[in-house]
Amino acid sequence: MPRNANSMSRSGLTAALLLLLAGCAQQPTIDSETLSYEGAMPANFDGSWERDYSRGSDVQYELRRLYNQMYRAAQQRAATGGYPGNVDVGISAKDASSIQALAQLADEITRPDVLTISQNEYEITVERKDDFAMLCEFFGGVSKGTESVYGSEVCGWDGDQLVSYLTLPDGLTVIHRFTISDDRNYLRVVTTVASTAYRLPFTLSRFYSKFEPASSDFNCVETLSMKRVCSTGEINP
Amino acid sequence: MIRRISILVVLMCYALPLSAAELNVSITIFDPGVPADPSSHRELLVFPKIRRIEALFLPFVLRKTMVAAGEWGAVRVVPEPDVAAELLVTGEIVGSDGEKLELQVQAVDASGRVWLNKAYTGEWAGAGPASGRSGYQKLYDAIAQDLGTSRDALDEKALRDIVEISRLRYAIQLAPSAFGDFLTTTPDGQFELNRLPAENDPMLERIERIRGVEYVITDTVDEKYQALYAEVVTTYEVWRKYRRKFSRYQIEEAERQTYEKSDAPRGSYESLRAMYDNYRWDRMAAQEQEHWARGFDNEVGPFVARMETRIAELEGWVDDQYSEWQRLLGEIFELETGLSD
Repeated sequence: MPRNANSMSRSGLTAALLLLLAGCAQQPTIDSETLSYEGAMPANFDGSWERDYSRGSDVQYELRRLYNQMYRAAQQRAATGGYPGNVDVGISAKDASSIQALAQLADEITRPDVLTISQNEYEITVERKDDFAMLCEFFGGVSKGTESVYGSEVCGWDGDQLVSYLTLPDGLTVIHRFTISDDRNYLRVVTTVASTAYRLPFTLSRFYSKFEPASSDFNCVETLSMKRVCSTGEINP
Repeated sequence: MIRRISILVVLMCYALPLSAAELNVSITIFDPGVPADPSSHRELLVFPKIRRIEALFLPFVLRKTMVAAGEWGAVRVVPEPDVAAELLVTGEIVGSDGEKLELQVQAVDASGRVWLNKAYTGEWAGAGPASGRSGYQKLYDAIAQDLGTSRDALDEKALRDIVEISRLRYAIQLAPSAFGDFLTTTPDGQFELNRLPAENDPMLERIERIRGVEYVITDTVDEKYQALYAEVVTTYEVWRKYRRKFSRYQIEEAERQTYEKSDAPRGSYESLRAMYDNYRWDRMAAQEQEHWARGFDNEVGPFVARMETRIAELEGWVDDQYSEWQRLLGEIFELETGLSD
């Protein structure tokens, strides 16, 4: 078991509180204080990680939980609002469709079963199959984001958690929160997808175990004109 | 002892031809123009390692163009600015994205006269190394033409003075006491001839032989840049092709975004997915480009490293010889005049 059953549940609680607060504010927000750090990076995620399917959230379960939460909230509103007679306190089709959309997107974004993380003193790259590599750049301890007409991406540190904020047009945000266990064998990624089109975000947790990629008898190097060049000896393209 | 004898033999055996009409040109390897702030490189699509390689071999394309014009003396690519060069050309890569090449070029003659200080922009014209011409050949042609125009604006005396001042500036570096008073520096940093040394001045003859030795080394270094050009030009064209593809992709994507707005209802899965995918494809294209850049560096990096090591060895040899030459010339000057250098 990683360290941190306790520490993870503590941070999970913090995350839940933050999400709740964020939910109240309609949109998860970026805390500017998290965008810089002093000294060395607070945690090292470097390595190859494979999904641990025995742990983490189940999309259907999270959806049901959210529906129940919304249903209870609607009931509460109806009760405190003193609505007379038979008021429909169910979830509207639009709400259901919106939350379903967020859940589906969150599920697809977190689908890659292998993460390859490269980290050096100023950069963390999270490579995922069939998706862009998340990029976290820090120059002099200050986060440097990536911006284009299609969206912006910036990373920060919340204690020893790495947080990646992706802001897309029309109020869509995707936040990944990376936590590594003390023994550096486990990684948890909490992904929250939110949209200003809907008041509640959707969150999924994924767990990963560290693995060593199989070693090869060949030394390979990527080249531009010859593509991948491999040799059993030293490579000199 | 043997080394000193060999240097003296070289001093006595090497003679330099002189020509005022065809000035010798030294083209310094370009300034890569990499912004000092590393955090801006990704945003500006500047790949420092590739810029450094471009800075090493783009001057060679200018050299080829000038040699082909047949209007110049020796045209050499040199690793460091040669202050005594008859005409020194320096340049900075302002932008290079496969579609467009932007250079800031300066040319100064030995007298300190600025021939040009100008920005040149070239659009890719489709030719490749197979044609023997650069895709940006018009840009290099424009630089060569401007240099030719500047030269043609000078009369025969001015050109001859440039050659003389170049010889004397070189001589002053080696034997300042013997030649220091032949030139005057004006307040604006230009050099003027006070008088000329005698045609058979033995000290100047020795210095010209030394310069001849240095030219032999410079030509060897120049050959290294020529070899670099031959080695990397094909890979570089592949790189430029990829970069052009990326630039066009960006333009097409921007147009697609403008004209093909998703009509999916706001908040629907299709709408969310479209927004995520737009960002995803944009980032994947940019990251693919970084992947190509790494491939380019993996492919030509080892050759460049070997070449730079060899050039550094040659440069180091010249630097060592310089001290030796200065000392020897000082001794000879003292013997001949009774004055110490």
